[in-house]
Amino acid sequence: MMKRNGTGWLFASPYLLYAVIFFAIPLIWSMYLSFTDWNLISPVYYFKGFDNFIEAVKHPGVQAAFFVTFKFMAAFVPMVIVSSLAVALVIHGLPRFKGLFLIGFFLPYLASGVVSSLIVKGLLSHNSAFNVFLRKFGIEIDWLSTPLSALLVVAAIIAWKFTGYYALILTAGFESINKDVYEAAAIDGVTPSQRFWKITLPLLYPAIFTVLILSIGVSFGIFTEVYQLTGGGPNYATNTWQMEIFKQAFTNLSAGYASAVAIIASVVTFASILVIRKLLEMWGKRNGWV
Amino acid sequence: MKMKKVASLFLTATIAASALAGCSTGNGGGKSADGKTTIEFWAAPNPTQQVYWKEMAKEFEKENPKVNVKVSPMKESPTSEASIQSAIAGKSAPTMSENINRGFAAQLADSKALVPLNEIEGWDKLLKNRSMTDTIKTWEFSDDNQYVMPIYSNPMLFGWRLDILKEVGVDKMPATYSEVLDAAKKLKAKYPEKYVWAKPALADPTAHHRWFDFFMLYDAASGGNNFIEGDKFVAEDEAGLNALKFMDDLRKEDAILTKQSTDPFENGLGIFTDLGPWTFSYWEEKFPEMKYNENFGLSLPPVPDGADTENVNTFADTKGIVIYASATEEERKAAMEFMNFVYSNPENDLKWLETTKLPPARDDLSANESFKAFFDKNPELKPYADAVPNAIPSIDNAKYNELQTHIGRYAVNPVVKGEVDPEKGWKEMKKAIKEELKK
Repeated sequence: MMKRNGTGWLFASPYLLYAVIFFAIPLIWSMYLSFTDWNLISPVYYFKGFDNFIEAVKHPGVQAAFFVTFKFMAAFVPMVIVSSLAVALVIHGLPRFKGLFLIGFFLPYLASGVVSSLIVKGLLSHNSAFNVFLRKFGIEIDWLSTPLSALLVVAAIIAWKFTGYYALILTAGFESINKDVYEAAAIDGVTPSQRFWKITLPLLYPAIFTVLILSIGVSFGIFTEVYQLTGGGPNYATNTWQMEIFKQAFTNLSAGYASAVAIIASVVTFASILVIRKLLEMWGKRNGWV
Repeated sequence: MKMKKVASLFLTATIAASALAGCSTGNGGGKSADGKTTIEFWAAPNPTQQVYWKEMAKEFEKENPKVNVKVSPMKESPTSEASIQSAIAGKSAPTMSENINRGFAAQLADSKALVPLNEIEGWDKLLKNRSMTDTIKTWEFSDDNQYVMPIYSNPMLFGWRLDILKEVGVDKMPATYSEVLDAAKKLKAKYPEKYVWAKPALADPTAHHRWFDFFMLYDAASGGNNFIEGDKFVAEDEAGLNALKFMDDLRKEDAILTKQSTDPFENGLGIFTDLGPWTFSYWEEKFPEMKYNENFGLSLPPVPDGADTENVNTFADTKGIVIYASATEEERKAAMEFMNFVYSNPENDLKWLETTKLPPARDDLSANESFKAFFDKNPELKPYADAVPNAIPSIDNAKYNELQTHIGRYAVNPVVKGEVDPEKGWKEMKKAIKEELKK
């Protein structure tokens, strides 16, 4: 078998090597470290068995990371799906310059998370023009120090960033729908609302499914915006898995413990994506979309 | 057969990994065949400091042709501490580096990653020649060793907006808690939308923020009493409670703003803030209207009523040089020679002061004639020099991050938000710190 696919193995070998060096070895090393109290620099460390895992499960930072991820998901996924769908719909309906508009919406995706976070920080500052304006109407919101608003602000920045990217995928989905279907529907006298719900949405479902899975994946990997804007606070309200791992490994110098948190985070991430993906597939099947 | 193939694949991968590991930069130090010792020095990720150290290295090499000093910037990604940790873990640590605070040094020393400087020949000479025998005392670690050679000792001071104080009828910078509260009342009466202390970090548990609020007040209230000694919590309850009560009283007057705000002191939203000397070069560029003794003044931290307002302690933002344990004997010796060369001449400290505006950690900073002209030209830095002997460096516990996070989480943050009273905050903080120290 190996001999027959020799050329295939040869072509795949750079990636395989890359995967072994930068994925498999660190993964195995991290698993090993998760049972130790190694602090990243000390030559001496001890085996702690499952202590790191037990400690992590009890830690408020880890518990918060678990729930915060799903809260982010609940805020971010609808935001980004609705906005990217709206952008894709508008662009799809444009008579010309579709590419130009798509590039415009795609640009935030290329923007640095640090820069966009700092801009938002300035916009939401107590003495910013925006807040001064709101205070004229008696509206006073402590955007980044209130648990709910801090979470929504971070979700909104990430949604803004990903909207153009997902709109690109959805536009491609729109473009792939056969025009004949719409023409046949028009002859049958379907209303615009029926056209969207009964034709466009089902035929767009594969693209929506991709965007949903991608956005759910993003919810498990939030770091830069949280690090810049809230540092995981207030009171762990925006403490993501990455924030917790970073704090433990590089601030508290607990590499062994951070490895245990990373392992737990990976398991939770893979299991959650698997379950959500299955549910989405069932939902699509039940509606006859797949 | 199949196993053999898998095994050979892993072997190839391991060889490749080892080859890649071999590509690591290493510390670049050591003794070459011509008898020259090369030491690698990581300077702070700050262009002015790099220029300074490169110049020093050049001058040193002229007088010491057998030693080569390679100065390179410390990587900052994600933090300079993290880059040092990964260099140590990857066995590519330099011979020596600057930019190390006492808390981080304690973490490194705890992991046997540092050399006790007092065990290297030339240390005592260095202390004497640089006139720092008093300053160095507060730097001794709980194992009686010295792991850091402090470069600068920057006593943190509070800035006051003199112009706004004057407008509300306060003619001198408040020095006691009552005086601050009185100023707060007057401020709120005239400018309800202004605050005494507008600082978002007061509500942020990130460990390092406590150096610039809690510790400044605690060091002043306790007369410089230690907070943690070795693994023991030794903080003075009364002083800690006083500091928290002061924050709580300001909150009750609606004089604290913890919301995110842009340049609150410069914009006059807040009239009181912690200030380091690095601020002034930033102001020269961005806020040239900020003039010392015209619209802003500098003071030591306020103290509880009745306490001495003259000889007040404050937190010292200090950083220094360490030598890493991976350095060879020759490298350690050469590193100490380099430090002796730099610090035996006050002119080099003057050059440092002129380049960075950070006060050298010397006992004689405000008395030595070498620095007089500089302070005459930069009067806003004089109060920093005067306060050097009363400045207390950060705690030397390897768990300083966790410990300082507890101060924020249980005491400072909830108190400034009015979520707990100072007594409860202090009690819960103390409990959390004691538990952390036991681990």
